[in-house]
Amino acid sequence: MIVVTGASKGLGRAICDRLIEKGIEVFGLARNFDGVPFASMGCDVSSYERVKGVAQHLKKKGVKVTGLVNAAGIASMNLAVTTPQSVAQKIIHTNLLGTIYCCQLIAPLMLRHKQGSIINFSTIAVALGLKGESIYAASKAGVEGFTRSFAREMADFNVRVNCIAPGPIDTSLLKGITTEQINKIVSQQIIPRQFKPDSIADLVELLIDSRSDSLSGQVLHVGGA
Amino acid sequence: MLTNHAIVSQIYTEVSRLIEDPSQEVSGDTPLLGGDSLLDSMKLVELCLTLEDKASEWGFEFDWTSDAAMSKSRSMFRTAGSLAAEFISQMEAKK
Repeated sequence: MIVVTGASKGLGRAICDRLIEKGIEVFGLARNFDGVPFASMGCDVSSYERVKGVAQHLKKKGVKVTGLVNAAGIASMNLAVTTPQSVAQKIIHTNLLGTIYCCQLIAPLMLRHKQGSIINFSTIAVALGLKGESIYAASKAGVEGFTRSFAREMADFNVRVNCIAPGPIDTSLLKGITTEQINKIVSQQIIPRQFKPDSIADLVELLIDSRSDSLSGQVLHVGGA
Repeated sequence: MLTNHAIVSQIYTEVSRLIEDPSQEVSGDTPLLGGDSLLDSMKLVELCLTLEDKASEWGFEFDWTSDAAMSKSRSMFRTAGSLAAEFISQMEAKK
């Protein structure tokens, strides 16, 4: 079973839909999981206790977890100097600590049978140092650093940890960003076109598959950066 | 129900199994962390997973990610004895 956070919408939902389509069992986590048509549970990943509750639930049910996709994330496009403290905290708590908590607490379920793949999410904003995304980029740069070190910690247990860093993918996370702004970012990618959630689902499919057994600790830039 | 002594003995047996060196006798003073430890980090995690399973068998949940686990001065992983003491303390707290 693959655990996917942020499963109710956006990239997380697209990833769940793809995995289910491929016959892979999915367990979704989301703050609001009303109407989610697959096995799921309410969980705010920024709460250590809630994530711990999920890990306990999966362990009690004797579920064999073989993968974790940390797709839950929030964005706030703003200059750092005009970003309220509460927003800065929320971004770091959800994006960085949420990823760390899920890895810390769900990875042990994979360590038991020495097999697994963990996929974290960063952003092209880290590689490009995008203006107006400094706090968001900081939270995701943390995710990249965590991914590289955590990959080494997990390697002895045959658990791989990688990170996908997309450019602006057409999801609700882009709400409030103009087409002009999106085009400007896309033009800085090596492949200057806007990718769709399907491209991310392709990469997730590859990273949870044994064909990517040689990859760990990598940050994959969608579109290239 | 196992006595505390029997539980401690089982924990030391597990540590000994993971050390894979029959000449090393495990006691309460056997270090689990730092340069003198006979267990590498991978073996330490394996020990935690084994203890987690044993705790489930005995009807409680062993939490090896608590604050106490990481504090250098009072980490439950200082020695085999401190780990056994924390394990028993968590078991008794759940009674």
